[in-house]
Amino acid sequence: MIPATWKRYQLSQLVNKALSLPKPVPFDFLVKGEILRSTLGEWCVENGAGEEETLEIEYIESVMPPEKVSDFPHEDWVSSVSCKLQGQFLTGSYDGYIRSFDYSKSATSSTQAHSAPITSICLVPSASSQIVASASHDLTAQLTQINIGPNSKSTPLATLHLHTAPVSSVAANNTGTQLLTASWDGIVGHWDTSIPESDEVPEVAPNERDRRKRRRVDGGGKVKRKAPVGVLKSHVGRVSRALFSIKQEKNAYSCGFDSTVRVWDTENEICVHTITASEKPFLDLALPRDPQTLLASSTDRTVTLYDVRLDSKPAAPVSLAHPATPSCLAASSQGQQVVSGGYDGMVRLWDLRSTKGALASFRAWEEAGKVLSVDWEGNLVGIGGEGGFTVWKVGDGA
Amino acid sequence: MAVKDLKKPSKKRKQTTEEDVPAPPALVVGGIEMLSDEEGGEDALSDDGRVDEFPEIDTRSDSEEGESDEGDTSDADEEGDGEEDEEEYDDDFSDADSLHVFPKAKTIVSDITGQPKRVYPEIEPEYDSDSSTEDAPNRVGNVPMHWYDDLPHIGYDINGKKVLRPARGDELDKFLSTVEDPSAWTSAFDKNSQIDKPLTTEELDIIRRLYVGEIPDAEYDPYEPTTEWFTGKGKEEVMPLSSAPEPKRRWVPSKWEKQKVMKIVRAIRQGRIIGSKPKATSKFTFHSIWSEPSSSNPPPLPAPKPRLPTNSESYNPPEEYLPTEEERKEWESQDPEDRERDYLPQKYSALRLVPAYDRFIKERFNRQLDLYLAPRVQRFKLNIDPSTLIPKLPSPGSLKPFPTYKSLKFSHGKERARCISVSPDGAWVISGDETGKVSLWEVNVGREVKSWNFDSKIGALDWCPRLDVSYFVVTVEEKIHFIIPPNIPSPILSLTQALLAPVSLPPAPSIPSPVKWITPPTSRWSIDTPILTANLPTSSGLPTQVTWHRRGDYLATVSTGGTQGGVWIHQVTRRHSQAPFKKVKGAVQMVLFHPLKPHFFVATQQYVRIYNLSEQKLLKTLQPGIKWISSMDVHPSGDHLIVGGYDRKLCWFDLELSDKPYKIMRYHTRAIRSLHFHPSYPLFASSSDDGAIQIFHSRVYNDLMTDPLIVPLKILRGHEIRDGLGVLQVKWCSRQPWLISGGADGNVTVWCS
Repeated sequence: MIPATWKRYQLSQLVNKALSLPKPVPFDFLVKGEILRSTLGEWCVENGAGEEETLEIEYIESVMPPEKVSDFPHEDWVSSVSCKLQGQFLTGSYDGYIRSFDYSKSATSSTQAHSAPITSICLVPSASSQIVASASHDLTAQLTQINIGPNSKSTPLATLHLHTAPVSSVAANNTGTQLLTASWDGIVGHWDTSIPESDEVPEVAPNERDRRKRRRVDGGGKVKRKAPVGVLKSHVGRVSRALFSIKQEKNAYSCGFDSTVRVWDTENEICVHTITASEKPFLDLALPRDPQTLLASSTDRTVTLYDVRLDSKPAAPVSLAHPATPSCLAASSQGQQVVSGGYDGMVRLWDLRSTKGALASFRAWEEAGKVLSVDWEGNLVGIGGEGGFTVWKVGDGA
Repeated sequence: MAVKDLKKPSKKRKQTTEEDVPAPPALVVGGIEMLSDEEGGEDALSDDGRVDEFPEIDTRSDSEEGESDEGDTSDADEEGDGEEDEEEYDDDFSDADSLHVFPKAKTIVSDITGQPKRVYPEIEPEYDSDSSTEDAPNRVGNVPMHWYDDLPHIGYDINGKKVLRPARGDELDKFLSTVEDPSAWTSAFDKNSQIDKPLTTEELDIIRRLYVGEIPDAEYDPYEPTTEWFTGKGKEEVMPLSSAPEPKRRWVPSKWEKQKVMKIVRAIRQGRIIGSKPKATSKFTFHSIWSEPSSSNPPPLPAPKPRLPTNSESYNPPEEYLPTEEERKEWESQDPEDRERDYLPQKYSALRLVPAYDRFIKERFNRQLDLYLAPRVQRFKLNIDPSTLIPKLPSPGSLKPFPTYKSLKFSHGKERARCISVSPDGAWVISGDETGKVSLWEVNVGREVKSWNFDSKIGALDWCPRLDVSYFVVTVEEKIHFIIPPNIPSPILSLTQALLAPVSLPPAPSIPSPVKWITPPTSRWSIDTPILTANLPTSSGLPTQVTWHRRGDYLATVSTGGTQGGVWIHQVTRRHSQAPFKKVKGAVQMVLFHPLKPHFFVATQQYVRIYNLSEQKLLKTLQPGIKWISSMDVHPSGDHLIVGGYDRKLCWFDLELSDKPYKIMRYHTRAIRSLHFHPSYPLFASSSDDGAIQIFHSRVYNDLMTDPLIVPLKILRGHEIRDGLGVLQVKWCSRQPWLISGGADGNVTVWCS
């Protein structure tokens, strides 16, 4: 029996008392998948529940309102960000540069990896050196070694040649041995990260008009042209994102504009499972900590939570409705929380247990601008988009 | 005259009554005719009237005299009427005066006759004269008293002195007096003296009598015994009233009449008067209606027999015939013409309790209406629920996907984004504005990847529909530029270059064309400049439209100026241009290639003409009924065409059905600017100067029997209206249900589902 006039604060006190926590921890409360924002009595009136009914209230650790940490203005749009490199932020921009910044807001490196816009970057985890994979509109992906330091020069290592259309995303696995590229031509490329000794793909006849290629040939003679290990072909439309599974090494996920999410066996290069939605061109994927689920954002302004288990019964997927196109997603490595960035310039923080509304939402930049990429590492969320790159602190500092 | 004639009888009657009034004894006489000298004439006339019947003679002159007499009498009548009215007026006054109480009469037995008689008291000139002794000094007469409203006096007494207005209290005094004075309720306001005067007992008696409906005069006895003045006992008249001898004419036959009759008899004998022939009674012929054979017409149908009454119509029907409460309510709620039966069974325990037939008058009335050929029932307006008249369309929710929201926008600054085009794979958009800038950007990020600048306004641009090569055309003033976008795979790039700038140029056409095709030398090729340019003849103006044939080899342009309607068809592989029309009636607005057949649509200001290009002849002329066509598009199946006009109309043509529109829609409030069919989804969009884009579902069926289904789905608003221009062009993204729209506000917007 709880008084109907209680709010979050009283409930939080009750839980703290019941758990006899040494240090009080603020909690939020979920009633039927909805965050309790008012008193219990008001919630009952709004949702038509009688005050005599038994309500199941779930408590979750509450999230502090996000705070802006720092701002990294860019001249061009930032298409992709990565916070995975320890102590550094990596950004890929539409001007073809990969830049890195340290936490004190100073640029540590900058290299032009592509002459065409970069669509996606990712850090290839390795023990010795910092290798970044980038995907671009120039139909290739590239492996670049980033040397942190004011005067150090980054060196391109290899270009990945497979696709016949702009490459939309690149992703590495946990150990940094394999890469996946997704492209507009509907192909997912599967690569290893070893740098070949010689060109695996023959150079096309140099064309006078293609100055970009000519320059690369001139400038980086040691850039190796690399061929894929495998090609995953099943999508019928543009593939927007391909990711490795976190737990199972050989599994990969991809989503595309053909409204499908596919689960791949990368060893055998077959599609083992296909989730078909109706008329949902998918834009981005995120893998929450729970390995059986997968989040996909689509242009119909929803982010949908799918169950990727093969033997799962097709239950109605849970959707997070957005007011604008959710262009990018990032899942927290710790909990059930997800951030999504939208074309309206808002970044929203969601808890997957409470799907009716976002936990918090904040505007990434003062002026309106599309958010094109988010990345979440620890308690820092890097946001890239039309207004440059900003870092926000989300969650407690634990 | 006719009116007068109509009036005559009533007037005559009045005259008679008037004549009756002065001589009541004549009426009371009872049979005896009072003969007097004055009335002799009249009597003679009446006698003449009684004289034996005379054969009808033409007495036209007499009747004329009679008429004139009547005319005179009518005049006299009118005068008489006037007098009568006056008399009535006086009578009224006397009635009003009769409020003054008469002195009471006494009834005494006459000394002379021994009969009772009324005797009125003597009038004493000092005290009893009718008014002089009364305390009514106001001699103002019968004038409206409000004439004295503003004056201090209310009239004058007999000596000509002013009679001052008596003091009258206010309303409170009046009320108090009614409370205090017990006789207040029997007093009345005397207008003449302007004070309340208590009514006398006689007046109260009159009021009481009027109230109970008796005769007001207390003295009047309506049941007086009849006094037989001349025939009563002992009063019989034995002597004539007049001593004049009886005139001779009473018993002597009239000599003048005899002369007159003889005159007529003589005339008849001499044949001067011919009696009118008897009526043609002999003409009446009998005929047997039964003997003749029946006519060819069928005999009239016998009247239908009335239905026999049933149990429920009985005055005491069994219980099961009685309606329940619901049935009664339902019966009462229905209209009379909708009822199954026009009565409700009712139960009476005895026949004597049955009331009168309540619909008797109604039925009589209906019968009268039938005889009058009037409709019995007043028909009301058809009471149709308007929602039933709307055709049943599927709900837009079931026809998803279609664009519903604005996903992103690409800005051209302040310049109007006049033309847009989407690449055949649906990934890139090119948009051109009025400063000559062409931007290439991604559909679902909206980031400009490349831009080209030209020195004048962009007229139109379109992407080549071929998938194995990748280039687009941009038209500026008198020029058509062919441009290769960046970042395309090298095989496609080399194929495109080989197509647009082949090593060996195709042979020049036999007929020299005024259009010059120019490729810059290989050394000057750059991503920023067009690889191929076609120069249209000078003064041909800006090509406002460019459209590709499905195969991607031919393209047609429509220029604003020049001869031949400004229509050119260019072939890229042969680098050849030709003007298909020598002369076009009307200004060409738009041209289109048929997607499957070698047909060519040409929209002039009011008509759409379809030409067969291979046979070079006119196939059909469509008449949309639009005053000024602005845009058109052909369905991917090639069987349907939509045409939009500046007069807000959108016409859907089924090309196999008719050259008149299958459907005309007027949903936009301003001029329609652009139309586009989705290449794969059953959708089309129309954009207008009202700043709105309308999305329609348009399902076309393969069988010829089913009409196309057109459902309005969504109105997309978001473009601003600038200088009266709204959304200038809409294009669909080829593989997704996404729409791209360019507006006069400089924004190109992507609408996503």
